[in-house]
Amino acid sequence: MARRDGIAYKADGLLALAVIVALWKLASIGIGADIILPAPERVLQTFVHVASTAKFAAAFTATACRGLAAFGISMALGLALGLAGGASRRVEALMAPGLTIVRATPVLAVILLALIWFPAGVVPVFSAVVMAFPVVAADVAAGIRAADPGLIAMADSFGVSRQSALFQIRVPSAMPHVISAARNAVGLSWKVVVAGEVLSMPTHALGTGMQDARMALETAEVFAWAAAGVILCAISDAIFDSLARRIACHTR
Amino acid sequence: MSYTIKQLEKHYDSISVLAGLDLAIPDGAITVVLGPSGCGKTTLLNILAGLDDDYSGSIDGFSDGRASYVFQEDRLLPWRSARDNIAFVLRPLMEAGLARRSSWQALVAVGLEDQADSRPAAMSGGQRRRVALARAFAYPSDFLLLDEPFSSLDLKTRIAVMDLFVDVRAKDGRSAVVVTHDVREAIYLADRIAVLSERPARVLDVFDMSLDRSERSYTSGAAVELETRLYRTILS
Repeated sequence: MARRDGIAYKADGLLALAVIVALWKLASIGIGADIILPAPERVLQTFVHVASTAKFAAAFTATACRGLAAFGISMALGLALGLAGGASRRVEALMAPGLTIVRATPVLAVILLALIWFPAGVVPVFSAVVMAFPVVAADVAAGIRAADPGLIAMADSFGVSRQSALFQIRVPSAMPHVISAARNAVGLSWKVVVAGEVLSMPTHALGTGMQDARMALETAEVFAWAAAGVILCAISDAIFDSLARRIACHTR
Repeated sequence: MSYTIKQLEKHYDSISVLAGLDLAIPDGAITVVLGPSGCGKTTLLNILAGLDDDYSGSIDGFSDGRASYVFQEDRLLPWRSARDNIAFVLRPLMEAGLARRSSWQALVAVGLEDQADSRPAAMSGGQRRRVALARAFAYPSDFLLLDEPFSSLDLKTRIAVMDLFVDVRAKDGRSAVVVTHDVREAIYLADRIAVLSERPARVLDVFDMSLDRSERSYTSGAAVELETRLYRTILS
């Protein structure tokens, strides 16, 4: 039954994708200008061509490394702050104004400031970390606080220390929140890293490829470079889906 | 060790929950506190366990000792095996190897050694209750506190788990305070029954059990007279 549901879910996903491509095709026919909206098959053709170049391989690898670095730093920072904020109301209160300011700051403002402060290759990573770590910290803190109060009272009644209860009850209870935070952080990291690359234009980057194609008015190529970013995002989503299922089995 | 509760009072804001409760708990016996739902039985246990220290009166014996608490729910860590759930509460008091050995012995005592590596989700309700009991018995405490520990079980499982509790407790010898609203359960388990009033709770009467355990079964008529007296006290 679950397997049949899974197949039906995937079939519905493919159907939705087919509808989007069909609408895209109709729109491109209606507009009738490749420079505004190229047809899907033209983008696919351009993607195959671009993806076979050495420039693309170097750009894809460099962007993937920046995204992973931004994600790793965001997770480390967000986990540490989330853990501290979830364990102590006082720490949470002290962190709250800073996190709110960071979360409310527009991504372009962060990228523009980073352009002033850092070299081109660091700008995307810095910007992504600033945007992603508050999301992780807030999710993790909420997860730590959402632990079953009955289990906490049980640990208390048996004289288990607060520190032990934190790491053996609150942290495992927060795992679904941590996975959700990681999924949000990785999605945000790809988006902000590519946006940062578009503006900072490091030597090897998907964002630089997009910017070069835009300046040459090669709209199909802009789509092709953007598709590479979508692929990175889809790969990380698939990894997190699998991880979330394993964690759910482990904590149930 | 003697356990005496004297003039115990507890308020939640303006609501009086316990009103001058007096009770002597015999050493090495099972005392059942029988009272209606919401009368303050769980509050009483929380005070005896040291989880609530905002009260007036005295709880001699309890405040100096360590409690093993069996809650209404199993309160087992879902991500840990039965054995590791028990070891979790033992670790602050002993090294890891001894905690694991003690956990195993506790599971053997409740007949669950074959479920030692199972997680709570893979066990039946009765098995989870037995793990919660094993955890309480394994913990090196001075007394046992049980909050309606069998009420979530069906009758057959309840009787089996209650028999197990009575047997293991008799070998163990620790004093136990069990709270329940179920008259038959009280008769089945108790050496002494204290009947509480509606909230604010005070002790209405105390019954020392003279019936042999063999006469207390759910199908025996021997306990009818005591059952009637208990109902009269509760409904008075």
